[in-house]
Amino acid sequence: MSIWRLWLLTPILTLAACTPASHDVAPLRNGIVYCSEGNPESFNPQLGTSGTTIDATSAQIYDRLIDYDDHQQKFVPALAESWQTLDNGTRYRFTLRPNVQFHQAPWFTPSRAFNADDVVFTFKRWLNEDHPYHEVNGGSYPFFTASGLSRLITDVVAVNETTVDFYLKHSNSSFLANLATDFAVILSAEYGAELLVRGEPAEIDKQPIGTGPFVFEEFRKDLIIRYQRHDDYWREPAHIEQLVYSITPNANKRMLKLITGECDVIPYPLVEELAQLDTGDEIQISSTVNPNIAFWAFNTEHPPFDDVLVRRAMASAINRKAIIQTIYNGNAKLATGVLPETSWAYSPVDQTYGYNPERARELLIEAGYGDGFEFDIWAMPVQRAYNPNAQKMAELIQSDLAQIGVTANIVSYEWNAFRRRLARDEHDSVLIGWIADNADPDNFFRPLLSCNALNVGTNRANWCEPGFDDLLVQAISEENTDSRKKLYQEVENWVYREAPLVPIANSMRFQAHRSDVHGVEVPAYGGVSFRNAYRDGKREQEAQP
Amino acid sequence: MIRYTLRRLTLLIVTLWLLTVFLFSLNYFFPGDPLTNMTGIRASNTLSYQLAAEARGFDASIISQYINFVGHFVRGDWGQSLTTQRDVFTDLIPLLGGTLELSLLAMILAMVIGAPLGLYAAGQQRGSMDRLAMGVSLSAYSIPVFWLAQLLILLFAVKLRWTPISGQINPLFDIDVYSGSIIVDILISDNPYKQAALLDAINHLWLPVIVLAIMPATMLMRITRNSMLEVLQQNYIRAARARGLTETRILLRHVLPNAMQPVVRQLGLMFSILMSNIIITEVIFNWPGLGSWLVKSIYERDYPVMQGGLFAFAALILLVNVLVELFHAWRYPQVRKELYAER
Repeated sequence: MSIWRLWLLTPILTLAACTPASHDVAPLRNGIVYCSEGNPESFNPQLGTSGTTIDATSAQIYDRLIDYDDHQQKFVPALAESWQTLDNGTRYRFTLRPNVQFHQAPWFTPSRAFNADDVVFTFKRWLNEDHPYHEVNGGSYPFFTASGLSRLITDVVAVNETTVDFYLKHSNSSFLANLATDFAVILSAEYGAELLVRGEPAEIDKQPIGTGPFVFEEFRKDLIIRYQRHDDYWREPAHIEQLVYSITPNANKRMLKLITGECDVIPYPLVEELAQLDTGDEIQISSTVNPNIAFWAFNTEHPPFDDVLVRRAMASAINRKAIIQTIYNGNAKLATGVLPETSWAYSPVDQTYGYNPERARELLIEAGYGDGFEFDIWAMPVQRAYNPNAQKMAELIQSDLAQIGVTANIVSYEWNAFRRRLARDEHDSVLIGWIADNADPDNFFRPLLSCNALNVGTNRANWCEPGFDDLLVQAISEENTDSRKKLYQEVENWVYREAPLVPIANSMRFQAHRSDVHGVEVPAYGGVSFRNAYRDGKREQEAQP
Repeated sequence: MIRYTLRRLTLLIVTLWLLTVFLFSLNYFFPGDPLTNMTGIRASNTLSYQLAAEARGFDASIISQYINFVGHFVRGDWGQSLTTQRDVFTDLIPLLGGTLELSLLAMILAMVIGAPLGLYAAGQQRGSMDRLAMGVSLSAYSIPVFWLAQLLILLFAVKLRWTPISGQINPLFDIDVYSGSIIVDILISDNPYKQAALLDAINHLWLPVIVLAIMPATMLMRITRNSMLEVLQQNYIRAARARGLTETRILLRHVLPNAMQPVVRQLGLMFSILMSNIIITEVIFNWPGLGSWLVKSIYERDYPVMQGGLFAFAALILLVNVLVELFHAWRYPQVRKELYAER
């Protein structure tokens, strides 16, 4: 029977060999695994608007000319050491930082440091249709088109090695805000030229070269993206040596992998479920207010919403506090106006209508709709960061309106059809929202409520008042921040008076991480950054050489 | 044996040929442009598209298109992915390695567990251990893989924290991918943390291997038991007993080799079942293998990848089946005689 014993021993021995590997090995200690929610579309944020691409590229591989500091709420130098406004705001002169090194990778060895040519190359790529790289990898630069930057900038000129001039068509105070976004990254002109010679221009967005804190190493679709620390980084180099994105689209699996320790940081955690699991103090959840706004817009061309009294009545009739509790599980802030708290022009003064059904009924009688009326609420069929469940929100509004004798019908279509019909203004009212691209308050008003936005199809209220547009232009041409702030308060007030839309909520962006990981930053405008991330026990080690 | 081998190989080639005909026609059945489906080059990429159309004989008859298709296929030009624009064949090799690693280990584990348990059960025929073993094997056989995998993940990974739940290795170990088999890749790498990496890889491996091995192990167990019982009733066993040979000697020298004959015959079938389970297992464990790649390509309607994945899977199953049959015929001459109907 000795054979049996031997055979029984085999699996036991095998299992014994499988005791969990110790986490005390250098690569595990000096690296961080981020379980991202999807594959990036490319490694150049200029080409898209997807948050997943931004998270995987902007703050890791690249730098911008200037950065926006959330805490100080102002622009800070990055690749540009300083800048000045010339010619009444139609020319910006940037003085570039010397001795900034591009990444050295197996596919490219830079022969020179960053200089003005790189800036010109980067901006001309999307600005100039004759640029050799303009058509490479699609030739579409959605952010620069949508923000109007491609029409605003007339030319980018290298004055000398460290000075670049941007010529604008007219002065525009959101110009710097746009340059500080995660889309305005700086590429290497030398790498571009080398790829042209090699005849592989498409590689520029697949095997990226930048000046950022991490060097791209490899990307295996659906599996991982690997970065190594950029040792010659112009700021203090990153604490961690290696950064890995483990691609995990399934939200449940992402949560389980965080619990088992396979992920150090995860985006968009299932906050509710995670709270129910007993994870002790191993996992921490952090949140930032995302610069977004969920709102209910009325089609001001469709009666009875052409009457401001009716719009005000609607705004007073809904219980927004209850909506936020139900739809966002408390993970959102009650909007006090169109601008969210993250904006520098935000004012804590509440510029919305409180819940007051009595007042709503009075307003309706005053407007001549004492017997109520019937209309449609369009609810998005998809989840968005600003609104996780528009259908449910519509139901809550429906029951609130029933209290004042108004009948609302909920309408929804497949997402693409929904947007197409919205653009044709077929709706009475719609529950939708907006996520800002940059820190400038203009980004909340111009796309949503200006007359120009009627043509682009983002003005869901179908509302156009030339006086309001003039105010917006006045606000954006103003250089003084305090005066601008006052102007935006006037703008907010105007929206409050006319009520073309009802601001509902500013939702938060969540992230969960293991408690031994620190310093992972999610700025309000833009993607996650690992530049300052470190693991417990790592910093002390660095302190003692 | 030579005649038999030739016949099997001819059959293999004919089947593979039929497979290429099927794949070729798929390009026309899939929605969209056949050339794009075949090569992954979109018509918007005008120059490459024209070059591909010329190279693939798209200006000529369908027969010459097919001949060109097979020509490219044999040369390893399987087109490029519609989503990543990467060469399908180059991407496929490491994934094949990952799948082979998982399937071979599972097969070995199944044999190590299944065959001895079957032997044991046969020895205890109708005893309580036999009934227990058979009962357990029947219930294990009836559990679907996707459910078993989730259950074991919940137990071993989430509750007990013994093992991670996905991937081949902690990605912070920077192991270059050559073969796709993580063990092989670690052994040939010059990573300074080889030993820790190997431990970590084994720690990632054992759960999916067990999940995969359970179904074939239970099958093996039942087949082994039944064929053992059959052999034990043969006259030559009785004769051996009468001559006073020890039980162990009878078991090892006379019963086992003969009892293994039907077991070997079933190995090919078992491998086919294993391959369908491996697709599910790879998806659940995020294992970088052919199965998860194929499933993903179906979601993404990535036709060139779909074809490559299908062909690799089908060819692998066919090849293993033919090899098993050849081994079977070589090892057990009586089988060949039956096949030729020789007297």
